Amino acid sequence: MYSEQNVDIIPEKWYNIVPDLPEPLPPPRDHDPENSSIDLLNRILPKEVLRQEFTSSRYEQIPQEVIEQYMQIGRPTPLIRAKNLEKFLKFNGKIFFKYEGATVTGSHKINTALPQAYYAANEGVQEVVTETGAGQWGTATALAATLNGIKSTVFMVKVSYEQKPLRKKIMNLYGAQVYASPSNMTDFGKKILAKDPDHPGTLGIAISEAVQYSLDHDMRYLLGSVENCVITHQTVIGQETVKQLETIGEKADTLIGCVGGGSNFSGFTFPFIKTDAEMIATAASEVPKFSRGKYAYDMIDTAGILPELKMFSLGADFVPKSIYAGGLRYHGAAPALSLLIRKGRIKTDEVGESQSLEAFKIFSKTQGIVPAPESSHAIATAINYCRNPANQGKTVVINVSGHGLLDLSFVRD
Amino acid sequence: MPYPDRETFQSFLDDLLGMRFDYLEIGIPTEKPYYDGPVIRRTHRKAMEGFSFQYLKEVVNISVSRGKKNYALVYYNHFHESVDEFLDNIRDSGLDGAIVPDLLTDYYDEREYLSEQFRKRKISLIPFFTSSTPDRVIIEMLDLTDGWIYHGLQPSTGIRVPVSIDKMVARIRSLCGNREIIFGFGINSAETISDLKRYGADGIAVGSSLVPYIESNDHKGFSSEVRMLQGGVYD
Ligand SMILES: Cc1ncc(COP(=O)(O)O)c(C=O)c1O
Repeated sequence: MYSEQNVDIIPEKWYNIVPDLPEPLPPPRDHDPENSSIDLLNRILPKEVLRQEFTSSRYEQIPQEVIEQYMQIGRPTPLIRAKNLEKFLKFNGKIFFKYEGATVTGSHKINTALPQAYYAANEGVQEVVTETGAGQWGTATALAATLNGIKSTVFMVKVSYEQKPLRKKIMNLYGAQVYASPSNMTDFGKKILAKDPDHPGTLGIAISEAVQYSLDHDMRYLLGSVENCVITHQTVIGQETVKQLETIGEKADTLIGCVGGGSNFSGFTFPFIKTDAEMIATAASEVPKFSRGKYAYDMIDTAGILPELKMFSLGADFVPKSIYAGGLRYHGAAPALSLLIRKGRIKTDEVGESQSLEAFKIFSKTQGIVPAPESSHAIATAINYCRNPANQGKTVVINVSGHGLLDLSFVRD
Repeated sequence: MPYPDRETFQSFLDDLLGMRFDYLEIGIPTEKPYYDGPVIRRTHRKAMEGFSFQYLKEVVNISVSRGKKNYALVYYNHFHESVDEFLDNIRDSGLDGAIVPDLLTDYYDEREYLSEQFRKRKISLIPFFTSSTPDRVIIEMLDLTDGWIYHGLQPSTGIRVPVSIDKMVARIRSLCGNREIIFGFGINSAETISDLKRYGADGIAVGSSLVPYIESNDHKGFSSEVRMLQGGVYD
């Protein structure tokens, strides 16, 4: 996994899909007509991150320092043929999985945390702030900050904070300050607590708190998903997969991944956009953004500080059930992904908690890897897909976005 | 136009018409100028009070008599329910064409229809592109239109996020060949303008940076701002 032999699989450039979309990506819009929230991004994001958000370039050079950091955290990640799962499903095609759980923080999130923290540090920023749902993004931010010599603060959705104490410990170990959100650290958090002291928190609220905190303290905010530049960074996943498949002479018929904000799925599939591979995006049934969401402009954060984006969304004040796949609880999905779903290029699926738990168990038992609850949704879609006789013989690639070793509390003995 | 009122607007137009430029871009005020920043949004609301097509025609006549070409900037959300009537009015006002900034993002499926409506009336649909317009869409729009191209430097007017001007100009130039490309949205410094020019822009459009002078009725400031910006163009 940490061998130096395969480092040339790490791409030299990130891929930005925008120039290759079938239609223009609807631009961000201001929520409040009196103010420019796009302008406000100048005070929230590192400059280079903001530049990449709106770039017209198809490729962005990955700084050599970031490539070094990618190697340190376990890139390239392995592409593994899931032979035991094939046998278990009596599937006569091939199942591969790209394993992002092999990074040191245990998920794909580190792929964008590193460059964002690197750019922030480069621009003289002392401290970065973010939110986290399941804890994966907060963990990635905490490590990326410390590797780049800066501090970090993380607002963690309260239910996860309570359910996943180990996540908090790891973040602390990496030097992060962690608060349960809604918190008393921001005006927005205070307002919500005043109304409901036991509010379980949502990702939308935590984002609002993190953004407000960064403005209040002149820090910079790191983007965990949804925004275009995050997806651009995450294309290291798909680009590596393209090369790995090439090396073994395979061609993907079907790509499957899970969707919270859409970053692991998009980063995995977009480098295949010019092929004829079928693509299936899996959301949680409890957060039915594809079947019940509206494709319209909506807020990214509950407070409406950030610009609105056109995306599939259940509404920024949507409070999902507290399913264990915290990373899938977000109300929207990245604009480029939403557009491609709208155009029919990418298909969707929604998988409920019990079905994903079943997939989680099958995958653990057959492959020995304990997948993240989020990734288990993609595995559930893949299992159904491979059980369908019409799909026999195909080559299916699943993105297993993270491991679930720190999420085991939900498994009943 | 007319912002903040007809009289003030016309006095600044007089200043402007005495200076060196080729195209006059006239904003048709509307309720939902989504891709404008706060400054221009403010002007839309106020200008709606004084706008009429009759007045537009008067303004265009004056400008034509001073040798300028004239283009409307108008949102499709403002006229998509009355395309025939609206475009007849645009043509009858003596305008040479119009820029429709929300066509490709919000009414993509109507691009062929709308360009046909322009063509029929012998007015130019000026294609409006930004860094998020896909290559394929640009190539197709070039086929559907003639005349010059408007490229947004920024995601909306009057704001500034960091951009790589060299890459942006190179990309649009490689797709547009010899067509005239004019950059607008958020341009307020002679330095940006000379960068744009150096990398191959044919022209620039300014708006937001002039508004404060109109608001404070500062003719001297207005003229020197225009001259300052022209320093970047004609240096
Ligand atoms: C392991 C894992 N997978 C998937 C997701 C969902 O996010 P995204 O859709 O942006 O990849 C998360 C988010 O927290 C996650 O931690």
